[in-house]
Amino acid sequence: MNFITTKDDLLHSVNIVQKAVSNKTTLPILEGILFKVMDNTIYLMGTDLEIGIKTELPGKINSQGSVVISAKLISELVRKLPDDDVFLELNENYILNIKCLNSEFNIQGQNGNEFPQLPEVHSDKEISINKELFKSMIKETIFSVAKNENIPILTGELIEINDGIIKFVALDGYRLALRQGKINDNIELSEVVPERTLSELYRIASLSTLDSVQISHTKNQILFRLGQTHIVSRLLEGEFMNYNQIIPQNSTTKVKVNVAELLSSCERASLMVRDGKSNLIKMNFINNILEIKSNSEMGTVNEQIDVEIEGESIKIAFNSTYFIDVLKIISDEEILLEFTTSVSPCVIKPNQGSNYTYLILPVRYIDH
Amino acid sequence: MKKRIIFHIDVNSAYLSWEATWRLQHGSSLDLRNIPSVVGGDPKSRHGIILAKSIPAKKYEIKTGETLYSARQKCPDLLIVPPNYELYMKCSNVMYSILKEYSHLVQRYSIDECFVDYTQSEDLFGDPLKVAYNISNRIKKELGFTVNIGIANNKLLAKMASELEKPDKIHTLFPNEIEDKMWKLPIDELFMVGRRTLPKLKNIGINTIGDLAKADGFHMKSYLKSHGFLIWNYANGLDETLVREEDIVQKGIGNSTTMHYDVSDRREANLVLLSLAEMVCMRLRNKNALAKLISISIKNSDFLHYSHQCKIQSPTDSTNVIYKHVKKLFDEVWKLEPIRHLGVRVGELCGKEFYQTSFFDEDLLDQYRKIDKTVDSIRKRYGRESIIRGAFLNSGLKPIVGGVGEEEYQMMSSLL
Repeated sequence: MNFITTKDDLLHSVNIVQKAVSNKTTLPILEGILFKVMDNTIYLMGTDLEIGIKTELPGKINSQGSVVISAKLISELVRKLPDDDVFLELNENYILNIKCLNSEFNIQGQNGNEFPQLPEVHSDKEISINKELFKSMIKETIFSVAKNENIPILTGELIEINDGIIKFVALDGYRLALRQGKINDNIELSEVVPERTLSELYRIASLSTLDSVQISHTKNQILFRLGQTHIVSRLLEGEFMNYNQIIPQNSTTKVKVNVAELLSSCERASLMVRDGKSNLIKMNFINNILEIKSNSEMGTVNEQIDVEIEGESIKIAFNSTYFIDVLKIISDEEILLEFTTSVSPCVIKPNQGSNYTYLILPVRYIDH
Repeated sequence: MKKRIIFHIDVNSAYLSWEATWRLQHGSSLDLRNIPSVVGGDPKSRHGIILAKSIPAKKYEIKTGETLYSARQKCPDLLIVPPNYELYMKCSNVMYSILKEYSHLVQRYSIDECFVDYTQSEDLFGDPLKVAYNISNRIKKELGFTVNIGIANNKLLAKMASELEKPDKIHTLFPNEIEDKMWKLPIDELFMVGRRTLPKLKNIGINTIGDLAKADGFHMKSYLKSHGFLIWNYANGLDETLVREEDIVQKGIGNSTTMHYDVSDRREANLVLLSLAEMVCMRLRNKNALAKLISISIKNSDFLHYSHQCKIQSPTDSTNVIYKHVKKLFDEVWKLEPIRHLGVRVGELCGKEFYQTSFFDEDLLDQYRKIDKTVDSIRKRYGRESIIRGAFLNSGLKPIVGGVGEEEYQMMSSLL
């Protein structure tokens, strides 16, 4: 194996595939990145067997071959190289020679043939989705994915495509985030993708200059393609919760509220509960005023916001973190909050349209 | 700042004197306290050990913690009575309620020990020593057992004071008395100096509490790490911990039972688990707490012990919900072999005042809550088995199993 590339291209590719490399693995070879030259293409690949990333590296090829190099070492090394052409040549005993201006390294590698193959995802149907839409769908839902593994299926997000509508759904038992958008392909899909895959995808998509992401899937693998970068991930098995069933269709109180005002009030109210596990804040919607209260040994806080209330007054309590998480990522100026009782979920919707739906379950409390 | 005044109330040979009192009140003419007697783990079990002893039993050099077998060899006439944790809990509760009359801050440190923060109460009730005598007399007269009370400026010294001379004594241990009363005591009398620390201290020539107090704090820290510094502080009578109102030493509630015969039928095992869950949940509700962690334990006929636990989405106190998880846990680990012993335990307790609801909460939760509440009050009034689950009819199994186990209360904790 022998090829010439530039420091920038090499750094970019290493950064992408490194996202799939896990630092805690039982298979030492997985701590490395595979460099492979085949069919006139230079590939880089990393995997932890749950997620695998393969990308192409532009460069001038002199000969074929493959080697696995420690991901940690190569990424630090490349980062510190001078800005110039980089010459890579594989010598005997898997020693990779790297030259750049006046620097020369000889790195001990491992046999490239021992590196696991990326699972093939052959599907005749490929879905294309706008990259910016894809990114915001991840960003606006991913915080609701379950953090613990009590219910394994909830550690991923449901991606559902139906009638030209794509939906991302995340829920952890206490809250739900649903974001939807339009796509052109007429295709059906309903799969649960691990949270880690999506967060790495978000980062890789942010690095990419392309406009769209292609998605295809087989029985238990899903492939995301951004130009020459392939991200293959295992899908989570099991039945996702029927989310439609838990979104209330009716409400007895509708409140229109300014997002920025509500967010800063919630943030101030949560100052008093920082130590507590349930971060309890109490909301009282009455006479077009929202009163937010919180108290602890540290002190008390009382906030008031002008809102538009339609329907009955209601007193309800929440974990402030759940509210703040949602309000932070909403770009609209105003939103609608819908309630039925003090023990049923609060529904957060856009004032216009139906791009997103958030559900937050209240904290049950005894009012003294 | 005003100097704190802390009482430490310690029941004298608690289990034994509670047992004795109860027997006297129920017509027995024999006072266990006057004969060689012990409260010991189930005498039928081979693993029975001594939990408490009378003073006459002490004369035979019978020690707490030794096996019944070895105690019987020392004193063949020894009277052994089985423990009754529910009775002890009751006694402990009534003592607690008496103490609550004297301060808003009472910490139940273990089943037979309480700390009372008397600092604020002095304006109301006056001289601490007089009040201590008052409390001691009331407990003797109203409840029929004796206590030791230690009075000091912090919890550590109060506890050391109540240990000074027993039974039925009141001691003070204020800073000017430390040297006279505490320093001359052997080092193993100091709180937190156990059998593992003792030889290490003896090695460097520390034999009394005073020796340790006079040693160099930094040296103790490098020798025994943070524990060395802690006991050095204790030897000097230094302790700043507060009297905590809630008894946080209780980390969980659990009950377990050894069956009369080995059970290998799933349905029967489920019923036993249900009877344990009934007890655990009743106790949980009685404590006004909710649990987030549920675990079960199994000991099979080969004495192999294993357990399994899960965290649930929303904390609960519902018998139905907890039993549902218990059943699932059991099915997940049971290897179909005959079972000798089963246990149910809940942990990660939290208050009932507010809790996060979840999408996975059962729809019937409110009804469950009402049923549990009603059943609890019927049982409280008319006895435990006044209302039982239909599943136990003609099953030959007890519908509610387990007492108030001692295991939940740390008898000695590093948390003052």
